[in-house]
Amino acid sequence: MFLITDLIALLAANLILTQALGTSTLFIAAGSRKHLLGTALVITIFTTVGSGLAYIVHHLLPEQYADFTLLCYTLIIGVIYVLLLAACYYIGGERFEKYRRYIHISAYNCAVMGTLFTITEKSHMYINYGTLISWVEFGLRAGAGFVIAAFILTAAYRKLNSAKVPSSFRGFPAMLVYLGIISMAIYALK
Amino acid sequence: MNNRRSTVFDGLLGDNTVLSALMVISPVIMCGDTLRNAEALILAFSAITFASVVICSLVPKKLPYAVKIILYAIISSLVYVPVKFLAQEFYPGIITRIGIYFPLLAVNSLIVVQTETKFFRMKKMRMIPSLIFYILGFDIVMLLTAVIRELLAYGTINSRVADLDTLISGLGMPFGGFIFLGLMCGAYRRLRAVFMRRSEERRGSNVSDN
Amino acid sequence: MTSKLRTERFVWLDIMLTLLTLELMAYFYYGARAVFLGCVCVSVSVAAEIVSLRFMGKNFTADDLTCTSDALILSLMLPAVVDYRIAGIGCLFGVIAAKNIFGGRANMIFSPAAAAYLFMITSWKNQVLQFTEPHVHTGITERASGLVSSASHNFNLTGKLNFTDFELLMGNFPGAAGAVSLLLLIVAALILLFRRDISAGAFIGSIAGTVFMAKLVPAAADTSQSVKYTLAMNMVLFASIYIVSDRRIAPKRDYFAFFYGLFIAVTAYLLVVTDAKENAIVLVSVLFTPVSLGLKNLEKRIDLAIAEQEKQAEEAEVTEEQQDEALAQAQLILSGEEAQDDE
Repeated sequence: MFLITDLIALLAANLILTQALGTSTLFIAAGSRKHLLGTALVITIFTTVGSGLAYIVHHLLPEQYADFTLLCYTLIIGVIYVLLLAACYYIGGERFEKYRRYIHISAYNCAVMGTLFTITEKSHMYINYGTLISWVEFGLRAGAGFVIAAFILTAAYRKLNSAKVPSSFRGFPAMLVYLGIISMAIYALK
Repeated sequence: MNNRRSTVFDGLLGDNTVLSALMVISPVIMCGDTLRNAEALILAFSAITFASVVICSLVPKKLPYAVKIILYAIISSLVYVPVKFLAQEFYPGIITRIGIYFPLLAVNSLIVVQTETKFFRMKKMRMIPSLIFYILGFDIVMLLTAVIRELLAYGTINSRVADLDTLISGLGMPFGGFIFLGLMCGAYRRLRAVFMRRSEERRGSNVSDN
Repeated sequence: MTSKLRTERFVWLDIMLTLLTLELMAYFYYGARAVFLGCVCVSVSVAAEIVSLRFMGKNFTADDLTCTSDALILSLMLPAVVDYRIAGIGCLFGVIAAKNIFGGRANMIFSPAAAAYLFMITSWKNQVLQFTEPHVHTGITERASGLVSSASHNFNLTGKLNFTDFELLMGNFPGAAGAVSLLLLIVAALILLFRRDISAGAFIGSIAGTVFMAKLVPAAADTSQSVKYTLAMNMVLFASIYIVSDRRIAPKRDYFAFFYGLFIAVTAYLLVVTDAKENAIVLVSVLFTPVSLGLKNLEKRIDLAIAEQEKQAEEAEVTEEQQDEALAQAQLILSGEEAQDDE
């Protein structure tokens, strides 16, 4: 029962379905189911680690330099990007070529950057976003939201790309409408 | 000649930034519900993207892909600072209206992805007009979406009341943005297919005439 | 293929008959306006279906009349006094955005009626959730007055209802025009179940989930009341029959469909209890579409695996038969040689 309540809360806070953050990335990754899940997992790493580092930057950066927040976040993502590529190179070995594309797709996009800016915005409005753990948790939740959105899209993938769908709507347009209707249900849930 | 022209205009019609490649769709979905938002986003997007891509074209091509992408993102983040300053100066209130979608424009796919796969493979004289049309492609879709959504959802055009009896408030919501964009995408593809078929027929008839 | 089409047509006919009965009851309570609303929804849906099929390069056939049942389902979920234009837009959304964009009846993803209702509730919440009292007949062109909240709304907020069991059974309480006549809905459910027009697994799962939750976390003063009121309110019975158990949407195997219905009911109940969300079952059924699609994908895989196994078994049988034949031939040859030796 608590699991269902948690799942509803996770859906209601889903950044893709409620704020359209990372939709383009989701569609790029939607080329195949394998890519979709791979990208979702790498994005979760980016949002979780990124949120933790963003917390530090947010608290260290003086207010008069707030305009440079974007630059700092870009550098954070850059660092994670390089570290992930290096880790993938040393751990993945021969599979590096295969896996590195997930890292390339996941690095700079609205899903990751949007998560960092959303948490920053929330920290200005709510007191309970004042700790490192709350930021990391938010990043993890955002990543989990991407995974859920990926699953939602994967479930309908075959139907949305079926030959029965009119050619002008097959693929991306049908995916947009499909996500729109799911997003509508989530909006009604709130 | 014909070929070259179609490549330059691609971003506007043949390969529209939003409707064909589905790039930069989050701001269209979230902020494309009023003309005022659209106006602000169009200005910010056009300025950031144009300046960033032109500056990024100076980055040495021999660098590793990841390094280049990081550099492009850093450059656009730097371009964002004066654009934000100018926006605050000339359009006060713009930043709060667009919220987090303003900085997110700096890491849009046109800068981070398309630079490497498309623009930097062209010669500079060809890249710049092509880039302009890609930016225009976004601007036009944003404008169209905003006008229709604002009219149907709030019954206004640029905050001026229009005479509409039944308003569909759902169109102003994010889900309305998703659905509307999906419908627009489908309509665009259909139109493109019709135009392509016609131009092929015309080309075919020209060849047979010759 | 022909038998499948015939089955589809019979399913549609049965569903239409039950819906028309509910429409008749709506006429009794709310007058000609309820019937006119149904007519508006059906006409708009048929027109939208014809136009969108033309765009898809297809012809409108008798089988495409299934859109009329979706239109009637939607009209029965609405207040009889709702603005016709809103109902029309809802129908357009249901036919075009929720159905034909995905390929129409051959490739259904969402229940058109449920998606359309959700669209209406998110766009015109006040108009969709305000009702007239039963027996208040509003003229076809009249503007409604004296609107009240539904009995479900009051139940969700207070956990109490001031209606007798007879009134509940007959649907003599404020609510959607067709979704309140419980007695008729029970009869409709039984008919559709016996004629296999709806997914039995999904229906039983949905009802079982609601009853289970109503007993586990009572929404009213005592458990029996909780079960009774929970089934009667928030369109639970109506949606369980016409939306959750829709054969086009629910998983095919009863086993999977049961869990699909069960999860929908449990989630919807939790939303009603914690959030007082009116008619939560409709929105949850849309939200659970990916679950249904996932289960259908699983069913396909299972079917493929079974087909593969059967094929292998057949091949194995064939080789066994061949071995037997070879053995028999060898024995024949041997016996022939022995006979020659004897001679």
